[in-house]
Amino acid sequence: MGLLALGTPLDWSEAKKAAPQVREWGIEQLLATWRRARGKERDALLWGDEIEYLVVCYDDAARKVKLSLRQADILAALAGDEKLLREGGGVEDVHRGPIQEGDTAPVFHPEFGRFMLEATPGKPWGIGFKDLLDVEPNMKRRRIIAKEHMARTEYPITLTTFPRLGRNDCTTPSYPVSGEKLRSQFLPDEIANPHIRFPTLAANIRARRGRKVEINVPVFRDENTTWPFKDPTVNYNLHKWPEDDDVRNGAAKNNHIYMDAMAFGMGSCCLQITFQAKNIEEGRKMYDQLSPLGPILLALTAATPIYKGFLADTDVRWNQISRAVDDRTAEELGEKPLKNDRWRIPKSRYASNSTYISNDQNLRREYMDPSLVVDEKLKQRLLDGGMDELLATHFAHLFIRDPIVVFAEDLKVLDLDKVDHFENLQSTNWQHMRFKPPPPGIDIGWRVEFRPMEIQITDFENAAFSIFIVLITRAILSFDLNFYIPIVRVSENMETAHVRDAVNTQKFYFRKNPFSSRSGTTSAEGHSGTSTPAADSRPASPLGAVEDEYDLMTVDEIINGQQSGSDGFPGLIPLVENYLNSMNVDVETRCGLAIYLDLIRRRANGSLWTAAKWIRHFVSSHPDYKKDSAVSDEIQYDLVKAAEEVTRHEGRNGLASEMLGKRS
Amino acid sequence: MKLILSTGNIIGSKPSIARRPLIEKSNTELTTSLRAHFASCQSLAATHSASQSSTAPTNSPSSSSPSQPPSYEAWTQPLPPSSSSNENTQKTLLIPSPKLAPPTPLAEDRAAYDITIKLFYLPSVRVEKRAAQTREALRTVCAALGVSSVDLCIVSFPGVAFDAEDEDSVPPSPSSDPTQNQNSDPTDDPTTDGDAEEGETDTPDESLESMIATWHTLETLYSTGAIRKLGVAEFNTSLLSRFLAATAVGPAVDQINVRDCCVVPKPLILFAKEKGVELLTHNDCTDILPRGTVRELLGAAGVLVRDGDKGKGLRGEVEPQWVVKYTAVVKDRGVVESKGYFAVAELEEEG
Repeated sequence: MGLLALGTPLDWSEAKKAAPQVREWGIEQLLATWRRARGKERDALLWGDEIEYLVVCYDDAARKVKLSLRQADILAALAGDEKLLREGGGVEDVHRGPIQEGDTAPVFHPEFGRFMLEATPGKPWGIGFKDLLDVEPNMKRRRIIAKEHMARTEYPITLTTFPRLGRNDCTTPSYPVSGEKLRSQFLPDEIANPHIRFPTLAANIRARRGRKVEINVPVFRDENTTWPFKDPTVNYNLHKWPEDDDVRNGAAKNNHIYMDAMAFGMGSCCLQITFQAKNIEEGRKMYDQLSPLGPILLALTAATPIYKGFLADTDVRWNQISRAVDDRTAEELGEKPLKNDRWRIPKSRYASNSTYISNDQNLRREYMDPSLVVDEKLKQRLLDGGMDELLATHFAHLFIRDPIVVFAEDLKVLDLDKVDHFENLQSTNWQHMRFKPPPPGIDIGWRVEFRPMEIQITDFENAAFSIFIVLITRAILSFDLNFYIPIVRVSENMETAHVRDAVNTQKFYFRKNPFSSRSGTTSAEGHSGTSTPAADSRPASPLGAVEDEYDLMTVDEIINGQQSGSDGFPGLIPLVENYLNSMNVDVETRCGLAIYLDLIRRRANGSLWTAAKWIRHFVSSHPDYKKDSAVSDEIQYDLVKAAEEVTRHEGRNGLASEMLGKRS
Repeated sequence: MKLILSTGNIIGSKPSIARRPLIEKSNTELTTSLRAHFASCQSLAATHSASQSSTAPTNSPSSSSPSQPPSYEAWTQPLPPSSSSNENTQKTLLIPSPKLAPPTPLAEDRAAYDITIKLFYLPSVRVEKRAAQTREALRTVCAALGVSSVDLCIVSFPGVAFDAEDEDSVPPSPSSDPTQNQNSDPTDDPTTDGDAEEGETDTPDESLESMIATWHTLETLYSTGAIRKLGVAEFNTSLLSRFLAATAVGPAVDQINVRDCCVVPKPLILFAKEKGVELLTHNDCTDILPRGTVRELLGAAGVLVRDGDKGKGLRGEVEPQWVVKYTAVVKDRGVVESKGYFAVAELEEEG
């Protein structure tokens, strides 16, 4: 999340009035981008990963761990590190050194949570196979550099969420809760990055919604859990803000862990990968083909079993973030009849994506969401501007939202050489895939961001999943793979991915035959452009029912292949192996890649645990755990310490070998 | 008669990927993709003749019996004896006909690609024939891809198989006289699994001399720029060191089976690094195209008929000559755009 320009942010009442103007100008900027970059061709594969950290601070004497809110100090230290700058690293948008010819030091970024830090490689990766083996050492280097700029008691940890975020005294320094911006009864306003964009984002989401955000996570019911479970941390007697009524109006649900602020979601760490495509068509294809993989990778990277000091009955962060930034009004949610708002909206701004955008002949109309909400007026403007139906629909769908943070200064003149208004909407649509047009003024191509994965505890795992996704994209493009299923099934899969231990217990809708019909036989058909009489006279093969194209499969079947039957799904890893067999890969690299693929293979077949399972096991076998779902300060301290140890040893000392395997 | 079998561009074709076992050996990839390509061209030919027969209903054998595969002549293409080649005056049959499956030239500029070919010399083919075979294989691939050169040509000698177990006990001896060491290494022995009952084991062992004799052609093609880098497959340290000592343009690549990629012995890694030889991985089978397989493939496709069988088709003994595998990869995107095989066999026609 880059820092956008500073200025005077509008209160929600003012921002709301400016919303139509921001949307219209955003669309004009998009059209300008489209005209400028639609013909951009032959860009190389470049890709980047983003690692997000929680900065924790230990008090070993008291056996306590808290979140450190020193993000600004740490970033200042990084931005002022001469050696780091000389090597090309630094802090994005603040101070970084020049990109080097060879090795370039990593770059750090602020994040929403003041206890968070993000780090990216100093320059994008390519597809030289040796590059792939540089990823893990680079991730390790990032963590070392981050740690070097922290206090002795601090450590950058890659847990998705801080186990007891929202409980008394969970930050250092400590601040009183119930501030003006968040109005949360659990978290202080100071939890968010103080850059004006972030508190405004939180405040305006709350204001637009008309109440605080509402996050209810089902609690994990253990032997001694009081049932029905009523979140014992909820205070029903606050009377400082109007929003304090939320809980008296039933915001906190029985048998759920209740949370009330954006930071509970946006304070989660994820592993995101961005790819540059050769041109817009390849980008659109990757966007569509990676989309059905999203829920599978979410389930496979599950790492979020604890919220606010309680074991949850879900394993992943996704829906909590979704609810933490859900700015929909009661009318948009369908709780009240539509009167002031324009439409009912089925999903939060943070949700699985709802569109396919590729001009691929394999994209059938039946795959599209029949209840997709689009702004028809803006769509018409895009069509009039020359954009095609599919892409215009996609953006007109993103643009049903209001801009949340609007700076007064930006409303004076429309600058078509900028994309600030477009990005305002685009970057606050947090879908699991993001299609990114080339930015102005710099030679960057059309890009696709893959966003569903949860951060893993070790850099070994984060490298493994990043590289796996990169290799899948290469297999998709080489073999012209087709993973299309109806987009509403992808959304259903996203829900399924939340189920505790979904990777071992659930089935997901997935396409049975990933081979495109046109490449099904020979090159003759791929050559339909030429006028071979025989090829032309071939009857088009009739398409069967869409429902027959996909089936329910386990994650193991999707990743490792269906063992039964000759026409079962071949499996993503066998497809990747087949791709690698067609490439010139040196023995050292191939062996390194085999270790990564083996981790994923074994996560999928259940022989290795997800982080979520490991954390649950750690909690339930802790002497301080009373089988009542509660994760105490004591357990949290030991858990975070153990996670740090796992980060350092990566299973080689035996700790967490259930998750990482026996490593040499 | 010379038979040129081609798979067309197999990248993305279902059978080559979906078959079990999933970690697939090259020979199944070759045979399944040949089979699939033949079948697809037969059906194209059948459709073609059916659509023609709708205007000329008197001549419609294929539409009246759709289960009957079309005659081999409908989907293959004979070529007249090449006049430019004074030695080789035999007829050639292209299976399938390029008219049904036109080659797909590369979409982008030549410089965007990394083109690798791997040439499999086969057992029971005289070493002297390899020079011509090498040139023909290169020419065939270049024509199919619409290019004039390849980036890497790896050659696979019959019977040479890397064995990680052996390797540790055989230290590199670059100082030793290569001619004395000849055939002393057990990995120089040909593998004897294959078509043993067909008497192919009477092939003499692949000797260092014969490899080097073969290599001279590759060195020539290298010097003309038709091949930019040369490579070998399955060489262990000992063989690699003797080979390097005996060649002017040494291999830049030694390809090892992926099965062994994590157990490649340290001595080989160090030796290769020292000599600037890149160790790459492959997943090909050493006995890529046994005689029986060709016979079976062509028989099933109706090109070859057995003695006593009725029907149209060629009769005689087939002898596989060479196989070439090619891949064209868009370098800076890591995308495989084209991949396929050509296999050539001689048919000793009866009568």
